[in-house]
Formats: sequence, structure tokens, C-alpha cells
Amino acid sequence: MTDLGIKNFDPFADTNESVGNAQETLIHIRIQQRNGRKTLTTVQGLDQKYDFKKIAKAAKKEFACNGTVVEHPEYGEVIQLQGDQRENIRGFLIKVGLASQSQIKLHGF
Amino acid sequence: MAEEDILPFDPTMKKKKKKKKTGFDLEAAMGEPTEDSGSSAAAADGQPSAPAPEEEPEEKTASEAQPAQEKVTDDFSLDFSNMKKKKKKKKPLDLDELGEALPDAGDSETTQSSAATEDFSVDDLNFSNMKKKKRKPVNLDALDDAQDEDNEEQTDSVGAHNAWIGSDRDYTYDELLKRVFDIMREKNPDMVAGEKKKFVMRPPQVLRVGTRKTSFANFADICRLLHRQPKHVLAFLLAELGTRLHRQPKHVLAFLLAELGTSGSVDGNNQLIIRGKYTQKQIENVLRRYIKEYVTCHTCRSRDTLLQKETRLFFLQCETCGSRCSVAGIKAGFQAVTSKRAAIRAKTA
Repeated sequence: MTDLGIKNFDPFADTNESVGNAQETLIHIRIQQRNGRKTLTTVQGLDQKYDFKKIAKAAKKEFACNGTVVEHPEYGEVIQLQGDQRENIRGFLIKVGLASQSQIKLHGF
Repeated sequence: MAEEDILPFDPTMKKKKKKKKTGFDLEAAMGEPTEDSGSSAAAADGQPSAPAPEEEPEEKTASEAQPAQEKVTDDFSLDFSNMKKKKKKKKPLDLDELGEALPDAGDSETTQSSAATEDFSVDDLNFSNMKKKKRKPVNLDALDDAQDEDNEEQTDSVGAHNAWIGSDRDYTYDELLKRVFDIMREKNPDMVAGEKKKFVMRPPQVLRVGTRKTSFANFADICRLLHRQPKHVLAFLLAELGTRLHRQPKHVLAFLLAELGTSGSVDGNNQLIIRGKYTQKQIENVLRRYIKEYVTCHTCRSRDTLLQKETRLFFLQCETCGSRCSVAGIKAGFQAVTSKRAAIRAKTA
């Protein structure tokens, strides 16, 4: 009974940085307005162990949009997709098993 | 979530799904915990009065429960016809769902009761099939009839819930649960029957300023309504929308300082101007999310809360139930470059 079950506890879970188990990190899907009615969708917080280029490529093909992977000093690699792909990318991430429903957080209007 | 564990049937699930579509799944987030605590509290309450389940209190519960259940059945039958959802959409930002969790509980409970009778009344009471037939013809035209019938059913099922008393079979979980809710309703009708307090928010007045700016005219009013500092609401709005204010930073600062200095008494035309095109609905959605995260108590869903900042952490203190929990800070996260890169370079260089 000396084991207090601290093993599974991740004290950095809520800092939202990929320290320890990546299960708890949230994936933020955001939207940004560009000029006119154009928008940009960004996916931040995916586990860095994946090949982002491949994910982006698959997503681009799936949603018929363009996109890229950008490197950010604080947030690591971030996928950018053109247009409002928030629902699409959420469904995609869940479908291919990269993320669970509770892990994903949609932002924006 | 706790409810889902307990109840393995569809009606509540269906309902939840529907609500999720509205994008404001408050009760999914915090409907259940309170339910649990409430029922457990009532269980404690109900224990002393348990050994006296004579005919009289039984009838009392039936009659007392009726007004509440009438409402519930009303909801339920409306739900069949999908009217409710439409209504909700029409109302701009009424936060109806906030107050709805209580009737929701009642709703699931009634379905529960029917399920219970369907399961267990086969040996002693044999109206489970009858009931099913009755339920089916519920439509808009026959609303009143359906309501009456439903009420009858309710009284029936209430009776059925104490069915184990006379017989020597064991009580079931569902029966006990129903009993607890009945007692709860009897003891404090206000709480459970819940005049469901609608939290009607004034809709945000969102106007377009020129082609690429949006004005949020009654921003100060809404902040005051939520008892939140405009600074905090503003930070959330900007982080969510991923935009900037279209004002000089100094001006914003002055605006905010003025606001904070006067501590809530805002006057004049304190409108907020955001860069980007947003419709009223979009701003509403963001405000909803703000309210869900930073205004409603995570335990009891009361709006009577205070946001305190202690050592860089925000705490939500509920004035109604006294609970206190930490809430996440506002983080803008990654922002992609959307303006012309050449312009940025020219600015920095």
C-alpha cells in the first residue's frame, strides 16, 4: 500500500507541452481569417513523433486544399491548411487514430 | 458521464447527441456530476423517511411530481418533433441549455421509469406493452392528449416503483433511484422541479465597420452582465478569434484602464472593435464558450461566480455552492502569418 499510484500522474499534463505522456496534450485546431472570406486552419499540438509532412500530405489530398508544415519555436511543428478545414481535420485525425475526441479542441467562431 | 454508465438506453443518448450539434454541450461537461451529488444528497435525506412508505406519501409524491413531469413530458414530446431545436436556434443567446440540465435529469428519469417497468413489471403489472403503444402516437397535433396520457403513465409508473414493497422480490436499482428522485422532489420542489431558470443573455450587437472591421457594440454591457472584467473577456475573444484589436495599443490600454478603474460602471459608447469580419452568430458562439468555461460554476452550473487571480492562476469561486476550481488561462497559441511578409519585414528592418 505504499504505492500511491503516482506513476500515472503527470504533473505537467495541464501545461500543454509534450512532456511525459502525450495522451494528455490537447490538439488545438484554430481558424484565422485572411483577406476577404479566405481562412486558414492551423493544427497545433500533434505528437511530435509523427511525420507531419505525411499528415499534411494526406490531409491535403483528402480535403482537396493546400497546406504546409511550419516550424514554431514554442509550439513545435504546426500544420497549416487553407480554408476552413476545422471539422474536416478533426474527423480526419479521429478517423486515422492520431487523436481521440477528447484530445481535440476546436477554437474560433 | 456517470449517467451513461448507469443507463444503457438510447433516449438520453439521442438527446445528448442532438445537443452536441448545437455546439454548446454544457450538460455533457457538467450536467452529470451535480446530478450525482444531488441524488446522493437526497439519498442521505431520504434514508430516514424510507421506513414509512405507506400509501399516503406515495400518492403525495405522485401528485407533487406531476407539475414537474408535465414540463418534462412537454419537453420530451416536443423533442420528438424536433421543434425544440428549431426554437433554440431562433433564440439568439439564451443559454437555455444551462437551465435545461435539470429537466433533462427528470427526462432521463422518466424514461428510466418506463424502462424499469418494462423490465420488471412483467410479472406483476402488465402494462408495459400498452405504454409503448401510447408513446408512439405522440405528435404535434395530439400534444395535449399525449400529455394527459403521459401523466397517467407517470402516476402509474410511480405506483409501480414501490411495487416491491408488497411482494417479496428484491427492489431494483432503477426503482430505488426513482424513489430517491420522488422523495427529493417532495422535500424541495424548487430544486428538482426546477423552475428552470433561463439565463437569457442579451445578444451581442455586432456591426460591421467598413469592410474588415467588426464592432461589438454592447461589449461592456455583456461584460457587466457576466460580472467579468472586460479585460478577461477581451483576452478570450481575441485568443479565440486569432485577431487583434483594430486600435492603437495605447488606446486599448487606456480603454481598459478606464474600465478597470471604474470597476464596472461603464458609460458612453464603449464598443469594441475587432479586426476581421464576424457575424453576430460567430461572436455568440465564442461568448458561449467563454461563459461555459469562465462563468458557469463547474459543479452546480450557477452563473453566480467570481473569477479570482491568485499567484498567476485563475480560480472560479462559486457564490451559490461555494465550490472553487481552477480554470485554464487564456492562451492565444500558434498564430500563422496572414499579413504580407514583405510588410512585416519592412516594419522590423
